[in-house]
Amino acid sequence: MTTPLLPAIRSCLEGAIPAVMATCASDGTPNVAYISQVVYVDEGHVALSFQFFNKTRENILANPYASVLVLDPVTARFYRLHLRYLRTETAGALFESMKARLAGIASHNGMADVFRLKGSDVYAVEHIDAIDGEGLPPPAPRPGQLHRLRQCSERMAACTGLEELLQGALACLRDAMGIGHAMVLMLDAPAQRLYTVASCGYATSGVGSEIALGHGVIGMAARENTPVRISHMTHAALYSHAMRSSLEAGAHHGGAEPPGMDIPYPGLPEPHSQLAVPMVAAGRVLGVLFVESPQDLAFDFEDEDMLVTLAGHLGAAIDLLQATPESADGATPGATLAPAVSGAPVRVRHYPANDSVFINDDYLIKGVAGAIFWKLLRDYTQAGRTEFTNRELRLDPSIRLPDVADNLEARLLLLQRRLQENNPPMRIEKTGRGRFRLCVACPVLLEELPG
Amino acid sequence: MTAPALLSPQHIAMVDRGVSVIVASRDAALRPSIMRGVGSTISADGTQVTVYLRRSQSRQLLQDIEAGGGVAVVFSEPPTHRTLQLKASTATLRPAGPADQPLLHKYLAAMQHELAQVGYGPAYAAAMLSAPLEDVVALQFTPQAAFDQTPGPRAGAPLTAAQP
Repeated sequence: MTTPLLPAIRSCLEGAIPAVMATCASDGTPNVAYISQVVYVDEGHVALSFQFFNKTRENILANPYASVLVLDPVTARFYRLHLRYLRTETAGALFESMKARLAGIASHNGMADVFRLKGSDVYAVEHIDAIDGEGLPPPAPRPGQLHRLRQCSERMAACTGLEELLQGALACLRDAMGIGHAMVLMLDAPAQRLYTVASCGYATSGVGSEIALGHGVIGMAARENTPVRISHMTHAALYSHAMRSSLEAGAHHGGAEPPGMDIPYPGLPEPHSQLAVPMVAAGRVLGVLFVESPQDLAFDFEDEDMLVTLAGHLGAAIDLLQATPESADGATPGATLAPAVSGAPVRVRHYPANDSVFINDDYLIKGVAGAIFWKLLRDYTQAGRTEFTNRELRLDPSIRLPDVADNLEARLLLLQRRLQENNPPMRIEKTGRGRFRLCVACPVLLEELPG
Repeated sequence: MTAPALLSPQHIAMVDRGVSVIVASRDAALRPSIMRGVGSTISADGTQVTVYLRRSQSRQLLQDIEAGGGVAVVFSEPPTHRTLQLKASTATLRPAGPADQPLLHKYLAAMQHELAQVGYGPAYAAAMLSAPLEDVVALQFTPQAAFDQTPGPRAGAPLTAAQP
């Protein structure tokens, strides 16, 4: 019998054969029960799901010692964890990630109504026994994980613009990790919402679609700043529903908004595995990197390690690319006159209540990106301007960018992508760092509607 | 004395068929011990339960049982999670012999069937329940209490007397 460390047996916490736990009442009567989840917290701690007030619960509150038997899902070897109960968490990152995972497990077992997480019981791991047995050969180690990470890192480090970076990150997931369905969402902190800026593997890009902070796997990962990984889920899973209903709610949150503003969320119709990882830079959640698969058990803890590392790199790069050196680009460009255009005019409507913009009755964009587009078109029609800088957008009070973390580049990218996908006779092109051009191919009629 | 009808015919049939079995006890300091069984059998009237354990995998558990720590044993069907817990304050241990071998074989076959339904192949089940006879001990007890342990809000409810 040897004594492995907890990180070495993380794969034993993921199998379909549940762990079992022995406790002892204060009168000396032992008890043994199945437990839905044993979650790796850190090198010295695990968390167990607390779902019901039962004998196990009563026992650990009276006598904090427990023994948990787990099984390696590949080698069939047993490990015994000797635990001491410390505390129960009922909010925060650990609790929310366990709740999301439990929703997946419960739907897998057809027990979604029965399972509800009351708390995350945190235990100190005092000792681990590797139990004797014949076992099966261990799996071949996945070769070259670190090398693949290096390739991703090099590819992302070479990117000079946000669009290139996001597409590069998605290509890394595809090429290095074989992940075919992914999206990147940025957090709009004042609005408490996340908006999709890039995706791959879906019928429609869904760029511009939104999720409320705290909703579904993605919203929870952002709100709690924690990875959320679900290994079994069906179309009936609570969290998939929460995601969709939050999108539906998002289409109506403005009251007086015109209809038809719903950009459909691009996700898989029946995901079986999902993993959402926050992108964090300088201690601030910038957004979420999200991957999913139609297969069960598609992402293990090593995939989570890899994605968390990539998301850290991505977050730092996004942060840097948005911090344009203003001094070099400060001057407002000279009034180059817009080239003359002809043809049937395009009608652009703006609703100031939510800065939504419609082109010939088709919804384009709202929010900060809508306000930016409206300013560009006003300057274009009134002064014939086509060259713009990020700096003047930051200074323009009509755009109402937040003072810190304005995500201006991400919003310009969102606008650029929406214009590409809706294909009106106008587009935005980058002309340098912190500079861009509005290209308009026909006369424009602006129409401002009262809020 | 234990009431003869502590277990219903359905519960006796579930244990008799061969499902997952886990045994726990505790030491003098009330620290729990635990291991999975590699076989089990039950008398037709449900009053005599035998669970096979591997000595090399269960040293602390066997020591605790011999010291009078009592036993808690759960039986569970992997595909349905239907679970039964039995408790007894005393239990006896004896080395397994050739007469026990057919029971161990029957149990493994039953478990291979159960585990196939949750996605594990026969080789996995065989490795998990590997039981070289010289390493196996038989734990025997008469259940004094029984609880429905199927996950859910009713888990832990004591079983009432079986229906006639």
